[in-house]
Amino acid sequence: MHTNAVSSELFDNLRLELRRGCLVVAVLAQLYTEHYGYALRKALGDQGLAIDENTLYPLLRRLESQGLLVSQWREEEKRNKRFYRLSPLGEAVLPDLLDEWRQMTASLERILGDRGLAGTAESGGPGKEEK
Amino acid sequence: MPTTNTDLIDRYLHAVKFWLPKAQQEDIIAELGEDLQSQVDEREAALGHALDEDDVAGILKKRGSPLKVASGFLPQQRLINPAMLPVYRLVLKIVLCWVFVPLFAFLFLGPVLTFAHPGEMLLRCLVEYWRAAFMTVGMVTTVFALLDRYQVKFKHADDWNPRKLPRVPGTQDTRTRWNHLAGAIFGFAAAAFWVFLMWQRSEFAFSGGTRLILGPVWKQIYWPVLVLTLASALFDLLSSLYPRWTRVRSRVRIGIDVCGLIIAAVLLKAGNSVGIVDGHLSAADLANSVAWFNRMIDWNVIAAIVIVIGEALHEARFLLRGKRAKPAAIPSAT
Repeated sequence: MHTNAVSSELFDNLRLELRRGCLVVAVLAQLYTEHYGYALRKALGDQGLAIDENTLYPLLRRLESQGLLVSQWREEEKRNKRFYRLSPLGEAVLPDLLDEWRQMTASLERILGDRGLAGTAESGGPGKEEK
Repeated sequence: MPTTNTDLIDRYLHAVKFWLPKAQQEDIIAELGEDLQSQVDEREAALGHALDEDDVAGILKKRGSPLKVASGFLPQQRLINPAMLPVYRLVLKIVLCWVFVPLFAFLFLGPVLTFAHPGEMLLRCLVEYWRAAFMTVGMVTTVFALLDRYQVKFKHADDWNPRKLPRVPGTQDTRTRWNHLAGAIFGFAAAAFWVFLMWQRSEFAFSGGTRLILGPVWKQIYWPVLVLTLASALFDLLSSLYPRWTRVRSRVRIGIDVCGLIIAAVLLKAGNSVGIVDGHLSAADLANSVAWFNRMIDWNVIAAIVIVIGEALHEARFLLRGKRAKPAAIPSAT
């Protein structure tokens, strides 16, 4: 039981580290089109990348302070909402970031393939296909 | 008065606001409030009726405590740069050692000199140690926090040479370190014993009326012996902390040995350094006893001189060979 709890906590930490960089890419990519916070979270969740509110809003502010996003308050459905979208700097950085991401994914796939660990989400995860 | 859903959300947002930086409070709270309201609206639309207090409380509970929510918006702060933590720990150890050893000598020897009660001495030691520890840790931490705050760069952190790194310590070094530590402990104990035994003493009185009278030479060598013993103990302590400090160590050790030889020579030159008063002995027996006692002292001093000369020669041999200070050769990368 204890071992399970420890390994679960360890897995959660590893998962968090793995997701951290991916979320930035996902948020920037999603904000090619304008979204407000709640709608952005829904959109990401609908595409299988659920993100916690306590992660999303600080991340949006950080990206805005880094000049990658711009935001404005606007009234929609009788409520004031803050809309975010990519800034010109964000539009310039995102393609490079995506290139880096693709290279990394390709390298990782090669490494996993060499060791027979490559798999797809449909097959139930790495290595499952071979069992 | 019943609590409404809006009340709960307002109270939650107010609690979050308390922890936020003032300049961003309104902006962040407005956005969080909008997000919570959107969530409530969506749930109500899905359920087909208004949420009750428990539902809203559940949403807020799931969102997390106000402090947790606010902490995500706070700048990532740290007291000390993580890269500097090893240096911080090393500096802390050295400073604590430098504070505690003199403090120990002061606190321990002070009461011995004034013959204070051991319990009082121990209590005073504990109080002063705690105070010194808190102050030392506080000051060192403050200095490192300021270095991090003002982004002070350490030139040597980037400008380093692999060839100048210290060689890998072997078992010989570990043994040397423990020897020095043992020497330091013994030295401090010997100094304390010397103070306890000889402080303002001109004679030793024994049962039966026999008295051992100390000659004036003992007063002459009292402070030199105490200072030299403490210096030697302190030096052993430093040597245990810096085992690679070999050449300096040998030179200082030779210096201490020479001072010890001078003191021994003064004691020997003084001749009959101890007299005996005993009403039960005849004049001839008394003279024999005094002669025997002084001869024993002289032989012990001579034995100490031989040991000290041997130690000094041993250190001098290392100095002349100069082998200990040479770092191990690192093969060229090319």
